Amino acid sequence: MYLNYLANVGRYIPELLLVVLMVGLILIEATYANDEKNKKYIFIATCIGLVATFAALIANFSANGEAIFSNSMIIDPFSTIMKMVMVIGTFGAFYLSSFSKDIYESLKTEFIILAVGVLIGGMILASANNMLMIYLGIETLSILSYVMASLKKNDERSSEAGLKYALYGGVSSGIALFGLSHMFGVLGTIQFAGMAEAIAKLDNTQIMIMMPSFVLFFVGIGYKIASVPFHMWAPDVYEGSPTPVTTFFAVVPKLAGISALARVTMIFFTVQSPLRVGWVGLMMVMAALTMTVGNISAINQKSVKRMLAYSSISHAGIMMAGLVLINQIGVRSVVFYAITYVFMTLVAFYITSIVQDKYGNDHFDRFQGLAYRYPVMAVVMTVVMFSLLGLPPLAGFVAKWNIINALLSSRYYSLSIILVLNSVISAYYYLKIVRLMTLKTQESNETIEGFGFLNQIVIVALSAPVFVLGIFWESIMGLAEGAKIFIK
Amino acid sequence: MHGLDLLSWILWMPIIGVLGVLLMPKEKTTAMKTWALINTIITFALTLVLYSKFDTTVSGMQQAFNVRIPWIPQFHIYYALGVDGISLPMILLTGLLFMLCILSSWTQIKKSIKAYFALLLLLQSTVFGVFMSMDFFLFYVYWEVMLIPMFFLIGVWGGENREYAAVKFFLYTFFGSILMLVGIVALYFVTGQTDSSFDILALSGGKFTTQTLTLFGQTLSFSKLFFVFMFIGFAVKVPVFPFHTWLPHAHVQAPTAISVILAGVLLKMGTYGFLRIAFPIFPDSAKYFATAIAWLGLINVIYGALCAMAQTDVKKLIAYSSVSHMGFVMLGLAAMTVQGMNGAVLQMFNHGTSTAMMFFMIGILYERSHHRWIVKPDGSRGYGGLYTALPVYSIIFIIGMFASMGLPGMSGFISEALIFLGIYQRFSTITVLALFGLLIGAAYLLWMFKRMFFGEVNPEVKEYSDMTKLEVLYMAPLCVAVILFGIWPSPILNMMKASVGQLVSLLATF
Repeated sequence: MYLNYLANVGRYIPELLLVVLMVGLILIEATYANDEKNKKYIFIATCIGLVATFAALIANFSANGEAIFSNSMIIDPFSTIMKMVMVIGTFGAFYLSSFSKDIYESLKTEFIILAVGVLIGGMILASANNMLMIYLGIETLSILSYVMASLKKNDERSSEAGLKYALYGGVSSGIALFGLSHMFGVLGTIQFAGMAEAIAKLDNTQIMIMMPSFVLFFVGIGYKIASVPFHMWAPDVYEGSPTPVTTFFAVVPKLAGISALARVTMIFFTVQSPLRVGWVGLMMVMAALTMTVGNISAINQKSVKRMLAYSSISHAGIMMAGLVLINQIGVRSVVFYAITYVFMTLVAFYITSIVQDKYGNDHFDRFQGLAYRYPVMAVVMTVVMFSLLGLPPLAGFVAKWNIINALLSSRYYSLSIILVLNSVISAYYYLKIVRLMTLKTQESNETIEGFGFLNQIVIVALSAPVFVLGIFWESIMGLAEGAKIFIK
Repeated sequence: MHGLDLLSWILWMPIIGVLGVLLMPKEKTTAMKTWALINTIITFALTLVLYSKFDTTVSGMQQAFNVRIPWIPQFHIYYALGVDGISLPMILLTGLLFMLCILSSWTQIKKSIKAYFALLLLLQSTVFGVFMSMDFFLFYVYWEVMLIPMFFLIGVWGGENREYAAVKFFLYTFFGSILMLVGIVALYFVTGQTDSSFDILALSGGKFTTQTLTLFGQTLSFSKLFFVFMFIGFAVKVPVFPFHTWLPHAHVQAPTAISVILAGVLLKMGTYGFLRIAFPIFPDSAKYFATAIAWLGLINVIYGALCAMAQTDVKKLIAYSSVSHMGFVMLGLAAMTVQGMNGAVLQMFNHGTSTAMMFFMIGILYERSHHRWIVKPDGSRGYGGLYTALPVYSIIFIIGMFASMGLPGMSGFISEALIFLGIYQRFSTITVLALFGLLIGAAYLLWMFKRMFFGEVNPEVKEYSDMTKLEVLYMAPLCVAVILFGIWPSPILNMMKASVGQLVSLLATF
């Protein structure tokens, strides 16, 4: 095969920029370790790096798919959009870390370095075009995440979170690798395109072997997106990690996992076969379980972060529901959901983090009477909560509506009814925050330093898409529509 | 009327009001109240203009007022508004009640005045949206958005147990409507994703009698399943037994104006949903379930009345009386005859005025007494001798009470009589049983009246002042309405005759 590696590099600029950024940050940190300007340099460098990456992604966007580096990576609209979303998520988490008190001052640079590393892993995962790249992506993502979870070195819970994450992660990626090796054994290739062709020609015995190996593979991805029953780590890790890290975990690894899952689903199961039936069944059950278990567990939480952790599990379940369809309509709805999910999650975590910084914990009671002290923040939080539970005319509703729309376009009535009933369950705990903020009388007059003018503006700006996408969602929907997955 | 878009003006006028309130500084409470009042007066005037231009001979949507602008063309979603004889009485009622509610809130609301008036006006816009939407998606959006202002209005300005009431209200309604959402999207795909797939009018006419679907491995009739889903969605709002348990809490905890809106307008959204959506779209299933709906209506009538009789809190008593009266509407709907349906729509309007009166009156009394006990928990009388102490109050109260009881000459009588005429043709047993509901209705209202207004004058009562001029001012239109439409109901009956007739003839073909 004739390869023009240099031309391929051109399509790989976003990732390379991130590598440069990561190395650059390490150099800055090492050079100016004792300098007061350290923090400022790091901040500016990260801003420039991430914005440049985003710009490069936009430049990289094209309506066609292109396989690069000996077919190991694919740059298609789907991967590019998911990467953009991940970059936005990283940027959000990074800005949060710059003023959060939950993360040690001396470790903030490390946080950013690690986050950029995880982002690179996520991007590899999003555009992986063979099984090896998927595995590499998962591992890059995971190993750095373990370190991030235990960033609060002196905190027992944080160490516990890191250890738990590492143990679960190690086991599940091992299982996934086991599944991958079976696939290689049966199909004789790790290239997606080749595998997809081979799968179509399998006889029944071979399919019998393939089915469990896909289930094993699902374990690895399911763990990353915290799908039930591989979600046990998530609440502990989310609660134990510093809040910026939690924010980051709720967005980047999860969406990276979803995009890998979407790609695998769209490539291997397009042809009608027992394998497809099995995979759809598996995904349906997993999606329904993930939504329901996530929501029911969230009801009884006392810590807001933990509640958000469980709620993000249920959102992953909803996104999985969109993948059941195995067609472009499903992918479109998932992409749209991912875009709205990022903004809603970021705002929710920003406000939680600021409140938590003030009081040292994130119990629900800390939100009491917030509306009387910080009306704008309370309104934004309320809007985000309503959006998360799926109330029109907010983005969360449109996102959910799109998933239901997709499900019903293929007549998946049962799953869509489970989905909407889950919204009702989720309403209970989202309303809990709204209720505490607005309905309870004010208890104290303390100022919360985190809600400075600048931060309020940032939060309002982040929440703007939640409003706008609820009413004018055509353009983003058109973008999501173009997010096609290519097999090359 | 081209280029004028009267409906859009009515729909968006309250939003202009919201913006105005939000822009005013917090301290200028009088300015805010005046602004809100002027705004609602303009809105009400616009609804009257709508009434004057309305052609009562035309059934279905009036071409002159239709608005249809693409919103999300990709999904065939339109910003489509329309008005017919069923929605016009509701629009008039909404315009009137919100105006009076602003007046009633003038002195009664004391905290966070800015937010209160902004939310109240927002609520008005969403209610108009529900009654005007001709696009199913738009309808759903308004139906759900309405929850947000309502949640806060009950939750922030309500009584002691307001949080519980607000959350319960929210969850019940949300549960009901979310199933409807599945129905909306399912209809969209069954009709082939065309330009009229969200058009309520295009969907109606019983096009889905033969479709089936698979749910959890069971093959079900498409029409029946989604009729049941929509029935639940609307029944929660009405509220039909057994979905009524949110209502007493919400009513009792809500501030006066919100109770009025809740009973006067919001409950009607449920029955309006049946008339506009559930019945026309699935007429076959409506016919199929008619007996069940009639029995549920009967349970509402009797059970609501018995519950009302047992109450010692006067506001709760009126709340349960709403359950009972909405049962009559359900009976009229289940009858599916011309008289029954006309009676049901008329009852929706009349109950809106009479029950609003009752809630206003209780609110006025509460401002003086700061309790609402007919019999206090310790067994002593809550009131007593109000008739001697507060003559003006008593007379207006009597008018409201008799209207709500359905005394001949008052508005309630006409609508209930029509409903009974209609239902007797189909369910004679239910008619006879429902008549007992009327009897119990008279009993609990008169018994309440006796305990509160007659008897020895309670020492506390002597200190109450009679109604102020402002209070008399905002009660006057309702007094006129309940008496006028009791004697001369034809303006409203004419308004809806054509549209209701069309619906009945559609149902008759199945």
